[in-house]
Amino acid sequence: MRKRTLRRGLVGFWWLTLTFLYLPLAVVVLFSFNAANSAATFTGISLRWYRQLLGNEQIVSAFVNSMILAITSSAIALVIGSLIGYGMYRHRHRKLGWLIVLIYLPIVLPDIVFGISEMVFFVRIYDLTGLFRPGLVTMIIAHVTFQIPFVGLIVYSRFVGLDPTLFEAAKDLYAAPVKRVIHFMLPTIKPALISAFFLSFTLSVDDFVISFFTAGPESATLPIYIWGAIKKGVSPEINAIAALMIGAVAIAAFLSLLFSQRRRT
Amino acid sequence: MAYTGVTPSARSRGMVREVQHLLFTVAPGATWILIFLVLPGAYLMGVAFMTNGPYGQPQMPLSLESFRRLAGFGFLGWSPGNLYTLLRSLWQTLVSTGLVVIVAYPVAYYITTCKEKWRPILLLLVVVPSWTNQVIRTFGWMNLLAPGTPLSNLAETFGLIAPNMGLYPSNFAVTLGLVYNFLPFMVLPLYSAFEKLDNAQVEAAQDLFASPVRAFWHAVFPQTLPGLLAGIVLVSIPAFGMYVIPELLGGGKGMMLGNLVANQFGGGSNWPLGAAGAILMLIATFIGLFVMRRLGKRLGGGEEVVI
Amino acid sequence: MKETTRSQSVDSPTERTASSTGDPVRQPSSIEMQGLHKRFGRDTVALNGVDLTIEAGEFFTLLGPSGCGKTTLLRILAGLEEPDDGRLAIGDRDITEAPPHKRSVNTVFQSYALFPHLSVRENLAFGLKMQGLAAAERDARVARVAEFIQLGDLVDRRVDQLSGGQRQRIALARALVCEPDVLLLDEPLSALDAGLRGQLQVELLRIQKRLGMTFVFVTHDQQEAMVMSDRIAVLNGGIIQQVGPPREVYERPANAFVARFMGHDNLYPITARDGDRLTTSLGELTAEAAGEGGLLLIRPETLDLLPGEVAGENHLSATVSERLYRGSHAEYRLEIGDTTLQATLNNRGRHLPEMGERVTVVVAPVDLVTLSE
Repeated sequence: MRKRTLRRGLVGFWWLTLTFLYLPLAVVVLFSFNAANSAATFTGISLRWYRQLLGNEQIVSAFVNSMILAITSSAIALVIGSLIGYGMYRHRHRKLGWLIVLIYLPIVLPDIVFGISEMVFFVRIYDLTGLFRPGLVTMIIAHVTFQIPFVGLIVYSRFVGLDPTLFEAAKDLYAAPVKRVIHFMLPTIKPALISAFFLSFTLSVDDFVISFFTAGPESATLPIYIWGAIKKGVSPEINAIAALMIGAVAIAAFLSLLFSQRRRT
Repeated sequence: MAYTGVTPSARSRGMVREVQHLLFTVAPGATWILIFLVLPGAYLMGVAFMTNGPYGQPQMPLSLESFRRLAGFGFLGWSPGNLYTLLRSLWQTLVSTGLVVIVAYPVAYYITTCKEKWRPILLLLVVVPSWTNQVIRTFGWMNLLAPGTPLSNLAETFGLIAPNMGLYPSNFAVTLGLVYNFLPFMVLPLYSAFEKLDNAQVEAAQDLFASPVRAFWHAVFPQTLPGLLAGIVLVSIPAFGMYVIPELLGGGKGMMLGNLVANQFGGGSNWPLGAAGAILMLIATFIGLFVMRRLGKRLGGGEEVVI
Repeated sequence: MKETTRSQSVDSPTERTASSTGDPVRQPSSIEMQGLHKRFGRDTVALNGVDLTIEAGEFFTLLGPSGCGKTTLLRILAGLEEPDDGRLAIGDRDITEAPPHKRSVNTVFQSYALFPHLSVRENLAFGLKMQGLAAAERDARVARVAEFIQLGDLVDRRVDQLSGGQRQRIALARALVCEPDVLLLDEPLSALDAGLRGQLQVELLRIQKRLGMTFVFVTHDQQEAMVMSDRIAVLNGGIIQQVGPPREVYERPANAFVARFMGHDNLYPITARDGDRLTTSLGELTAEAAGEGGLLLIRPETLDLLPGEVAGENHLSATVSERLYRGSHAEYRLEIGDTTLQATLNNRGRHLPEMGERVTVVVAPVDLVTLSE
C-alpha cells in the first residue's frame, strides 16, 4: 500500500520535473509562432518572425560563423585530441600526472576565467605583434582548447576498453605502422571518433561565455547575436532563431537515440 | 648464424623510440593547452598584481591595489558592494546546489526503477535541454517570468511580489535558472550510483527498518555518496563562476562574482581588479576540487569523483 | 614421430602434406636462439641466457610455471619484445632486429585477439591484406583455410557471435592462412573447459602433423605438453632446465625442479653410496647405472606392492596410510619408517591393499633414477 503511494509520488515528481525542464523551451517555440509582437500574450499562429529571420543578414552571417567555428574547431580538436588520447593510452604505465592535470585544466576552469584569460592574452599579443586579432581565428583556438580534453578522454577510454593483444595481433599479421593506423586503430575507434566529434560540435555550439570574450566585432556567432538582441530588448525574432536551434538539438537527440539503439542490437 | 655478441644499444634504442612516440602523440595537445590556456592564465594572474591604467589596461608598478579594491576599499573608503557580491555568489551556489540535490535524487532513482530499455531514453530526456545553448535556455525563463505572464500573475495574487514587477529580475530568478541549468549534471552521476546499488542490501534494509525513510538513510544514501559528491563538484564549481544566468535574470541586485569579474573587462574596465576576482574564483575552484577529492577518497570511489 | 613428419613433407614429393592453401608446403624452418637475455625494469630478469635450437617441422613446447620466461621467449620469437642481448634466427635468416610485421611468424594469442570491428572473413584475410595480396587471391586462400580447419559457416558470422572454442579455431585459421615459417601458440587452450580442451589438443596436433609446420607452443600444463610435443623445454627463472622428448623429460628429469614440475613427489636425498648401492631414508636400494646426482627419484607407477612381508633385493616393508581408488588405478600413500612414499597400482584384477595393511614395496633397479638438486 505504502509502496504504491511512493511509486505514484515518484511518477508525479518525474512528470513535474520534465515540465520544469521543457517549459522554458516550449514557451520559446510557442511564441516564435506568435502573431503579436508580445512576449506575454499569444494572439495567433504566424510565421512572420521566421520570414524576418531570412531577411536579416546579421543572423545569416552569425549562423555561418557558428557553423565555421564549430566544424573547424571540432575537426582540429579531433586530430589533436585523438593523438593525445592514444598517447595517454600507449604510455599509461608511465607517470603522466602532469599530463592529466593539463588535460583536466580546461574542464575544471570556470568558463569566465577561461574566457577572460584568452581575451587578455590575445589582446596583449595583438598589441605586441599584430597577430591574433580577435575574430574567428581566436575563437577557434579557444574552442579547440576546451574540446581537446573531451576528445582525448573519449578516445582514451575507448582504447582502454580494447584487448591490448589486438595491437600485437595487428603487428603479428604483417601490418606496418601506417597500415596499423589505417586498418586497425582508426576502424576500431571509429565510434569513439564519431561521438567525440559530435560532442565537440555540441560543446562549441553550446558555448557562449568563451566565444563572447574571444570574439571580434565581425565574428559574432548565433549565441552572441541572441545575447546582444536580448540585451537590447527582447524581440520576438529571437524566439524564432532560438526555436530553430532547439529544433536542431531535438533532431540531434533523436539521431543519437537511433544511433545508440542500433549499436546495441 | 654467426654470434655477434652483445647488443647493448638495443635497450636504449627502444627507450628513445618510446620517448619519440610519447612526444609525437602527446606534445601537440599538451603544447596547445600550455600556450593557449596555461600561459594566458598565468598572464591573467600577473595582471592582478599590476596597477590599473587610465583605460583599464594593466601597467607597472606591481601592487596589491586590485585585491584591496576587491575587498571593497576604494577612493571613497570601504563599501560593502563587492563583499555582498561575493557572499551572494556563495549563497546562490549553496542554495542552488542543495535544491538540485533534492530534485535530482528522486529523478535519478525513478529512472533506475524503470525497465532497462527505457532508461537511456529517460536519461536523454533529462539531458537534452542542456544541449541547447545556455543563453536560449535562460531566455526561455525570461519569457516565463516576465511581468504579465501567468507565473508572475500567480505570484502577484499570492502577494509574493509587488504588482507589475514580474518574477525577474530577482535573486529568485537566478536560483531558479541555476537549478534548471545544473539539474542534469546531478542526475547523471546519481543515476550511475543508483544503478550500481546493491539491491539485496536495500531489501534487507526494508526488512530491518520499518520506514522507507530510514531504509533510504541507512542503506541507499551511503552507497550513492560517490555519485552525489561527483554531482556536487559538477554543479557547485561552475555555479560559483556563473555569468550568463545572473546577468540575464538577476539584474543589478542579483550580480554574482562572475559578473563582477566580467564587467571589469567590458565598459567600466579595470583589468587588474577583474584578474584579482578571477584568482579568487580559481582558488575557490581548487579548494572545492581538493575537498571533494579528499572526501571522495575517504568514502571510496575517489576516481569517480574526478569523473 | 618427428622424423616421419619431416620425411613426409620434405623428402617425398608425391606425398606432400596438405598446406592450409592446398599448395605444397614450403620447407619448414628451424629456429636458433643464442644467449638471449631479457630484463624488465631493473630487477625482473625474464630470460637469463637462453640457447635453444628448434628443429624444422617440430611441435616444440615451452613449459614452466608462470613467470618462468616462457611467454617472454615466445614474444621475442614473435618480435613483440626485443631481447637485451643475444641472437635469433629462423632458417638461416637472422631476425633479431626484425619488427614483427617483417617476420614470417604468426601467433595464436591466449585471448585470441580477434578484431572486433571486422567480420570473421575479414579477420582471416587481415594478414594477407597487410601483405598486399590481391582480393581474389585472399578470398581463395581464406576459402581453403576455412575448409582445412572445417570452419563451415562460421566465416559469415560476426566475431561477437562466436563461442570460445570457435574463436580459438578462427584465431588458429587466421594465423595459418598466412603460411608462416613458424607458428607460435601462447597457451591457446587455457581459456577453454576441460572437454573442449582435450578435443582441440587432438585437432591441433593433427593439423600440425598434416602441415609439417614448425609449431612453438607455450603452456604451464605438463600433461598438455606431454600429449602434444615432439620435444619440450622446461624453463625456470629465465633459464632452460632441460630439453628433450616428453618421455625423457618425464622419466629422466635433469634436476629436482623439472622432476617436481612434472609431478614427481618421491624424491629422496642419497645419504651414502657404494657403487650402485644407494642409501636413503627409505633404506638401501640397488640402482642400475646410477648417475652422479644426490637425489633419488622413484616414480609411483614403477612400484609394485606385494601383500605381507617378502624379503629380497629392493624389497621394502611398508604400511598403507592412504588409498585413493580411482577406478583404472589406485593411488597409495605408504609409510616406511618416518618416510612417505607414493605408489600407483594399475587395477588389473589383482589385490589392491587396504588402509593399514602391511605390504612389501618392490622396485626394479632399472627404474631408479638419480638427479641433481
